[in-house]
Amino acid sequence: MWRFLSTRILMGVLTIWITTILVTLLIHAVPGDPVQIMYAQSQGTTPEQIEEVRRSLGLDRPIPVQYAMFMERLVQGDLGNTIRGGQPVLDVIMQRLPNTLVLACAAMFIAVLIGVPIGFLAAYRKGSLTDITLMIIAIAGISMPHFWLGLVLLFFFAVELGWLPVSGNGWLNLVLPALTLGLSNAAIFARLTRSSMIDVMNQDYVQTALAKGLPRALVLRRHVLRAGLLPVVTMMGLQFAFMMGGAIVVENIFSWNGVGRMAVEAIFQRDYPIIQGFILTFSVVVVLVAITIDALYAVLDPRIRRS
Amino acid sequence: MKLFGRPWRTTAGAIGLVAGLANTAAADDIVWARYGDIDSLDPHRATSTLSLQVWSLMYDTLLATDADGLPVPHIAKSWQSNAEGTEYTFSLEEGVMCHDGTPLDANDVKYTIDAAFSETTPSVTKGSWGPISGVEVLDPLTVKLTLETPFVALIPFLADSFSSIICDSNAGSDGFGTNSAIGSGPWKLVSWTRGDRIVLEKNADYKNFGKLAENPGAPYEDGLIIAVVPEPQARLAALKTGEVHIAEPPFDDVPMIQDEGDLSIIVAENTGQNVFWEFAVHRPPFNDVRARLAVAHATDAATAISLIYGDLSIPENCPVSRGVFGNDQDFCAQYRPAYDPEKAKELLGELGYSMDNPLETALLVWTGGNRQKLGEVFQAQLAEVGIKASIEIMDIGSLNARVRQENENTEGTTGSMDMMTWSWYDPDILHALWHTPGAYRGYTSPELDAMLAETRVLTDSEARKAKVQEVFKYLLENAIHVPLYTPGWEWVFAVRPEVEGFFVAPFVYPNFSDVKLGG
Repeated sequence: MWRFLSTRILMGVLTIWITTILVTLLIHAVPGDPVQIMYAQSQGTTPEQIEEVRRSLGLDRPIPVQYAMFMERLVQGDLGNTIRGGQPVLDVIMQRLPNTLVLACAAMFIAVLIGVPIGFLAAYRKGSLTDITLMIIAIAGISMPHFWLGLVLLFFFAVELGWLPVSGNGWLNLVLPALTLGLSNAAIFARLTRSSMIDVMNQDYVQTALAKGLPRALVLRRHVLRAGLLPVVTMMGLQFAFMMGGAIVVENIFSWNGVGRMAVEAIFQRDYPIIQGFILTFSVVVVLVAITIDALYAVLDPRIRRS
Repeated sequence: MKLFGRPWRTTAGAIGLVAGLANTAAADDIVWARYGDIDSLDPHRATSTLSLQVWSLMYDTLLATDADGLPVPHIAKSWQSNAEGTEYTFSLEEGVMCHDGTPLDANDVKYTIDAAFSETTPSVTKGSWGPISGVEVLDPLTVKLTLETPFVALIPFLADSFSSIICDSNAGSDGFGTNSAIGSGPWKLVSWTRGDRIVLEKNADYKNFGKLAENPGAPYEDGLIIAVVPEPQARLAALKTGEVHIAEPPFDDVPMIQDEGDLSIIVAENTGQNVFWEFAVHRPPFNDVRARLAVAHATDAATAISLIYGDLSIPENCPVSRGVFGNDQDFCAQYRPAYDPEKAKELLGELGYSMDNPLETALLVWTGGNRQKLGEVFQAQLAEVGIKASIEIMDIGSLNARVRQENENTEGTTGSMDMMTWSWYDPDILHALWHTPGAYRGYTSPELDAMLAETRVLTDSEARKAKVQEVFKYLLENAIHVPLYTPGWEWVFAVRPEVEGFFVAPFVYPNFSDVKLGG
């Protein structure tokens, strides 16, 4: 178990280290002079100021030196300052990261809470009208783009019914973005749960349990559910990263003040320190979630921790 | 179904808990929603319109702008300059108070200008302050600025929020620009949650000397919340529910809003915004004036903007927009190439182009504000005379960088032109754009440089106007800067019926001092 986990942690550290190299190179991947691009809109910016920015970002040094400087600052918890406004990047990110995590967790909660029971029911009633109907709904859910579903929910619940606010960052404001993000993911979980459960239901040990006369509900609860949910747990890890990314669109629609929206604004404004900080933070979160899911997987499935 | 009993109950409980918590503004707070946030609370650290609009609410400026966009006294009740235009002395009003209760005096003006010219962290608009070489406090209410050379654009600059007066009590604050900001404007900072909202409260001590507002004192309402709502449809939804009082609506929905009549539409005038054609002039085909003129003659701006914006925007004849010094529609109309497709074809024919052998060019357009649709209309107009334009849509940062790259590229035969946008309060913008080396390294010439240099030093208003219009004539006749329309961005506001007294001052500065939220 510990060997399994330490391997996963080492791989996570390796992933983050590679990310630090990539974010250092990022600023050089853009055609043209990045500092000129950043200040292209600043009327009255003098060449001396542009040179000063280039120097402060270390762009006048060789790339390996830039990387060393970046890492030296990083271990001290310093991701630099934003180009626009000159604020510490880490502060700007940490102000918003909790919002995105809350949104992704709430969406995951909704997705699992709706998707898994529907998938289970569809598997239980395999081939019936209920199964077909639920799977049609699931396919529709997967096909719906976030921006469309978000706007529909917004106009229905906020404008027509007036139950929920349109935008902002309170608890009540969380409902619509979490529903938007959660519903389409619920469809994914529903389909995955269904196929996984059907697979387990056809296993010999389940058939044996049923043949011995155990109540069907008991067989499902004790023998099918745990084994059938293993792929769902894996999918939760993958989908969490997807939700963090997908949150960018949803955050924009509902004015949810998360890191996704911040990243989009930074990209438009060519604020490279924020973009670098965002990518790095995003990778750390994804790696942490992946390690947690791996650990959970190992707990649920003895074969994994023994391998 | 017994299996699902517990989870469903848990969900219902969770939704109930969430629904019990509300997050709303106070009833007497004005809520204004915009698509983006400010960059900084420090007027020396940013240049965006979004930032300027907020600074105009929190800070005062020495001068203000009248309805025609001309500088008038504000916290400086008068000013004199020497005959050479190298010294300006300002007399300040008595009784102006900073938000922390300290009086605003000449030391605050000196503090602001010294900060703009700081050795270590100069203002990002340092160049626009001009060649200021000294700031002297003559007495608490008199301050003298000394310039190395005359710079007449200083006066309109001092009326713009770029030159907001920062109270010197900010000096001891670590968080100035991010967590704190002490000004003397009608609204005081309560908090700024980056990316979400700025919360302001009224400055009860405020005295309005010259800013455009009927209200001579503190704002009528207690609070002003400036919220970030990036999605246009969400802004419209928030307007409809009453969550937001004022916001820019989606352009395509403006006719519907006008038909419904629940919200009123306010269009800003004298925004200083100018949208124009410019060209990559250091390679064919646009190194030849005939190719540039052909584009200008092929473009029917009036029809295009009418199709896309209805009557929300208007054609512009001058290289600076209405409300900016020197703008004269009749004067410019004499020199701006008129819509004449036959003339365009003739010019293209001289260059060897025809409908079968079209002139090929990239057409670069800034994303948003329906400009991509406008670009498509222009693309169709150009196609009618034998110009094949490929539209490329990009954000403003990419557009600025790309235009410069195109100008620096002297190889190849495929052209590049762009629908550029600039906003400024003075024709000095033309110096930034077209004086060597030029903001985008585009067209420059010794003749134009000489004229532009003179527009900066002529202290006599009439003489300067004549020189500025000479520059207009040169730019228009050579089709270097072909004006299309004004205004161009963030100039349409949808306002809820309970809002009274809202208006937008020149250069897109919304004013909330007169606003009352009625029943």
